[in-house]
Amino acid sequence: MARRKESDRAQQNNDDSDSNPNDELEEEPNFDDPEGYEDDISEQDLMGDLIRQRPKETDGVESIVVIDGVPQVGPERIEKLQNVLKKLFQKFGKITNEYYPLNPDGSTKGHVFIEYSNASEALEVLKGTNGYKFDKNHTFTVNLLTDFEKYNDILDKWENPVPQPFKEQGCLQYYLLDQDACDQFSVVYEQGDKVAVYLNTQPEPSLLEERPRWTETLVRWSPLGTYLATFHAKGIALWGGEKFQQIVRFSHPGVQFIDFSPCEKYLVSFSPLADSRATDEPQAIIIWDVLSGLKRRAFNADKSQALPIFKWSHDDKYFARMGVDMLSVYETPSFGLLDKKSIKVQGIRDFAWSPTDNTIAYWVGEEKDTPARVTLLELPSRNEVRVKNLFSVADCKMYWQKSGDYLCVKVDRYAKLRKDKSDIKYSGIYYNLEVFHMREKQIPVDSVEIKETIQAFAWEPVGTKFAVIHGEPPSTSVSFYEVKTGQTPTMVKKYERKPCNQLYWAPSGQFIVLAGLRSMSGALEFVDTQDFTVMNTGEHFMATDVEWDPTGRYVSTAVSWWGHKVDNAYWLWSFQGRILKRVALDKFCQLQWRPRPPSLLSAQQIKDIKKSLKKYSAQFEVKDRLKMTKASKELVEKRRKLMQEYEDLRKQKQEEYAEQRRRRIELRNNVDTDETEGRGGELEEETVEFFIKEETTFIDE
Amino acid sequence: MKPLMLHGHERSITQIKYNRDGDLLFSSAKDNHPCVWYSINGERLGTYEGHQGVVWAIDVDWETKRFMSGAGDNMLMIWDVQTGKALGKIEAKTSVRTCNFSYSGNMALYSTDSTMGNPSEIFIIDVRTVDSSFSTNDPILQIPLTNAPKATSMVWGNLDEVVISGHDNGDLAQWDLRTGKKINLVSEHAKSINDMQLSKDGGFLITASRDCTAKLFDADTLDCLKTYKTERPVNSAAISPILDHVVLGGGQDAMDVTTTSTRVGKFDARFFHLVFEEEFGRVKGHFGPINSLAFHPDGKTYASGGEDGYVRLHQFDPSYFDFKFDY
Repeated sequence: MARRKESDRAQQNNDDSDSNPNDELEEEPNFDDPEGYEDDISEQDLMGDLIRQRPKETDGVESIVVIDGVPQVGPERIEKLQNVLKKLFQKFGKITNEYYPLNPDGSTKGHVFIEYSNASEALEVLKGTNGYKFDKNHTFTVNLLTDFEKYNDILDKWENPVPQPFKEQGCLQYYLLDQDACDQFSVVYEQGDKVAVYLNTQPEPSLLEERPRWTETLVRWSPLGTYLATFHAKGIALWGGEKFQQIVRFSHPGVQFIDFSPCEKYLVSFSPLADSRATDEPQAIIIWDVLSGLKRRAFNADKSQALPIFKWSHDDKYFARMGVDMLSVYETPSFGLLDKKSIKVQGIRDFAWSPTDNTIAYWVGEEKDTPARVTLLELPSRNEVRVKNLFSVADCKMYWQKSGDYLCVKVDRYAKLRKDKSDIKYSGIYYNLEVFHMREKQIPVDSVEIKETIQAFAWEPVGTKFAVIHGEPPSTSVSFYEVKTGQTPTMVKKYERKPCNQLYWAPSGQFIVLAGLRSMSGALEFVDTQDFTVMNTGEHFMATDVEWDPTGRYVSTAVSWWGHKVDNAYWLWSFQGRILKRVALDKFCQLQWRPRPPSLLSAQQIKDIKKSLKKYSAQFEVKDRLKMTKASKELVEKRRKLMQEYEDLRKQKQEEYAEQRRRRIELRNNVDTDETEGRGGELEEETVEFFIKEETTFIDE
Repeated sequence: MKPLMLHGHERSITQIKYNRDGDLLFSSAKDNHPCVWYSINGERLGTYEGHQGVVWAIDVDWETKRFMSGAGDNMLMIWDVQTGKALGKIEAKTSVRTCNFSYSGNMALYSTDSTMGNPSEIFIIDVRTVDSSFSTNDPILQIPLTNAPKATSMVWGNLDEVVISGHDNGDLAQWDLRTGKKINLVSEHAKSINDMQLSKDGGFLITASRDCTAKLFDADTLDCLKTYKTERPVNSAAISPILDHVVLGGGQDAMDVTTTSTRVGKFDARFFHLVFEEEFGRVKGHFGPINSLAFHPDGKTYASGGEDGYVRLHQFDPSYFDFKFDY
C-alpha cells in the first residue's frame, strides 16, 4: 500500500515540475519508482564498495593452513602420522582443529588442514614449514586456506613471460687480454670521494677511469677480478667491463662488509645495524646470487662473531658458520643446511676451509680432562680424516697453505695455569707449530717448537716454505722452514734481530718482503728465499700497507689516511725492491690490485716457459728499453715545448723591461742600477776587516 | 759546502732579506731585535733596538740607507741602517704584518692585521718626510680592507704604480696607487699566501701558500704560469736571479710538529725547475719549518730562516751549477 502511494506522488510531482516548477517547491519530493519500472542496475554497480565487504564463506578461516605433500598412509598408521605432525606444527602455536581428509578406503589423501587460534600463528607456520623436508620423498607445501581464493583468480590460460632482452655486458675479462699483462689497480683517495683505476704500465701508470663519489667508503675487487664492488648507504653495486659500467646492484641498507665466494658466484653482505629494526625477516646478512642479482637467503648475525661470519669452500658448494657448540654447514644452490642439521662440536673455537678441498679444519678447546684437539673433517661425508689431540693449549691459529698441501696450526701452549674467578691466566707460554701433511697417507703431523713469541706466520703461496717472525719487538728474528714429504720441517735460514712485524710473500713464491709497518716506521726488506740474499732494503716512512700485484712483479706500499693522517701516498716498487714511483695523494685511503683468475696453463706448460725464459726475457728487455726511450723522448719533447712558451713570455717581458729603463733610472735619482749592481763608477771601494780568530801563544823566555 | 749558521736570535725567524749589493743580510725574529749580518762570513754587525713585540716584517731600501721593520707592538719603525738609530715611528691600530720599500726608495707600504674590530689596512707613506714627528702624519694613501680577508703579504708592482697584495684566503689583488682602486683580483690559491717575492727584473712573482703549493705569476697581468707542489704548507719561495730555479721552504706547522723525528716535518728547502715544475734537489738542515728564504743577488748563495731560530747561509756547490735538465 505504501509503495503504491509513493508512486502516485511521484507522478504528481513530475506533472508539477512540468507545469509550474516554482509553485510547489516545499512539497516533499517523491522517490518512488514509476509504475512498471524495472530495475536494470545491478547491485554490484549500485553499492560495490559495500558488497566487497560482505562476509564470505572463507571469512574467519585465516587461521587455517593447508599442508600438501604429507605422506599417504593407511588407516592403521594414521595415528602415528598425526602424532608426528602434531609435534611439528605445535611449535608454531596452539592448534584448535585439525582435519585429515580420507579416501573411501580409510587412507589419508596426502593433505591436511590445521586450524590455529589466530591468523598470525598461521603465518608463522607458513614461513617455518613451507618447503619443509619431511623425509626423502616428502616435502611440504604449506598454504593459507584464504590463499586458495587468490589461486582461483589466476587465469586459466598460461601466458609465457616475455623474455627480458639480453643485456650485453661486454667482455668482463677484457683486462686479461692486455698484451703486456699489465695489472690494474684501484685507488681510493680524498677520504673516499674519488676512486680511480689505473693500469700499471711502465714507466708511468696510465689512468683508465676516475669517478667522483663512486663509492661512499671503500672498494673491493671480486676474488677473480671480474667485478669492482662499491659501497653505498643503500647497498652494494658491482661494476665491470671495459668502461666499468654497472653490472648489478644489491639493495642492503647500512651494509658495511662484503665477502665474495671464491668462484664469485655469490656475495655475502653484512649490515651490522640492520638487526635493530624489528622485522620478521632476517636482515643482517644476505647472500646474493651475483649473476642474477637475486637474494638467496638471509641470516641474523650474532653480535660477537668475528668476520667473516660465513666461510666458503673453494668451489662455492658449501659455506659454513660457527655457532655455540656447533658448526653449521650449508650447501648451494639450495641454501639449506647440509643434511638438514648442524654438526655438533662441543666447544668449537675456530674453523677454516682447505683452499683446495672440501675439508674443514676446526679446533676445540680444553675442557676439564679432555684435551684440546684439531680435527680435519671431510664434507659432505662428515668423515673425520684426522684428529690430533693437544695438551696445555691456550690458543690455536690455523694456516692453510694455498695449494692445500699443508696445514699449519700455531699452538700457544702454557706451562702453568692459574684460575682467577672467571679469568684464566696463562704463564710460561711457548709455541708449537703443528704441520699436517695433507697429501700423505694417514696425514702425519710434525711439530716445531719455538720458545719465543710468534709475531707473524706465513706460508709461501707456491712452494713448501714458511716464514715466522718471533721474539719480542724490536729484537725480533725471522726464521724460514722448509717442509718436505715424510720429513719434519727443517730450518733453512734464520735472520737474527731483524726488526719487522709483517710478512708478505710474492704470489708466486720465492720472494718475500719483510716489513716493519706502522710503529716500526715502514722499513722494508726484499728477500730472495732461493739463496736467501737480501736484494734490497727500503723505507716508506709510516707505511700502513704492503701489497703484491697478482703477477708478483711489483709491490705497492701505502700510507693510508685510515691509519695515518699525514703524508698519504702510495709507492710502487719492483719485486727486487727498486723504487719505481712515488705518488702522493690528498687523503689517500686504499690501493688494491685487481686479482687475476688462476692460470689456465698446465704445470708442464709453465715448466716449459720457465725453461725457455732466456729467450723471452731478451724480447721483453728490448720492449722495455723501447718504452723507456720513448718515454724519455716524450718528456724531453714536453720540456722543450714548455721552455719555448716560457722563453717567448720572457722575451716579451725583457722588451718591456728595456723600454722602461729610462723611467726606472728616474725613479732612482738617475743612478743606473740595471748595469752596475755594485760596480758603478760613483761607488767607492770599501775595505771591510773581519775579526777571524784570536790566538794566544806563549813564547819561551 | 758547510753552511754558515747565524745564531743571533732567541726565537723563530720571521723574515730575512739581502740588501741590493748582497753584502748584508737582515733578519727579524719573534724576539724584538732585528739583526744585520755580513753575508760573507756570518758575523753580526748589529741589532735595531726599539721594538716591544714580535717583528713580523723587514725591508731595506735599494741604497741600503734606510731599514724598516713592522712589529706586533703595532709599530712600524724606520731606521738608519748604518747607525741603528730610529728615524721614525708610526703607530698603527693593530700589528704591522708587512712592510716594503718601493723601487725608488721614496715610498713605502705597510699593512696591518685585522683584530679587535679594526679592519686590515694597507698604507702608502712617503719615506722622505719621515722624522721623529712623522707618527701623526697622514699617509699618502690608505686602503681599508673592510669585510675582506686580511693582507698577509705585499709587493710593489712595476715602476711604483701598483702594489700587489696576497690575502688570508689565497686571493691576489692588484691596486692602482693613483686611484686607490682594486684593478685585478685572482684566486688561484686555496689557502693563505704566506710570502711573495719578485724575480730580479720584476716581471714574475712567486707566491708561497699554506695550501702546500707555490705558484709563479706574471707580475703585470697576474696570470698563473706555474705551480710547484709539495706535501707541506709553503712559508716562503724565491726565484734564483741567475738560473731558472726556484726554492721553496716550509714544513709542517709549528703547532702540529710533534716530538717525533724531523723526517715527519719535511723541513727541507726544496729546489724546483722554474719552467718544468720538477723538483731536483733538497737541502736539509733546519729542525723546524723554514719561515723565510732569500737568494743572494749574485745567485751563488741562498739563506733560509727557520722556526728553529737559525739563519743558515748555504753556498752552492759547483755541481749545482753543472746540473742541467735535458731538453
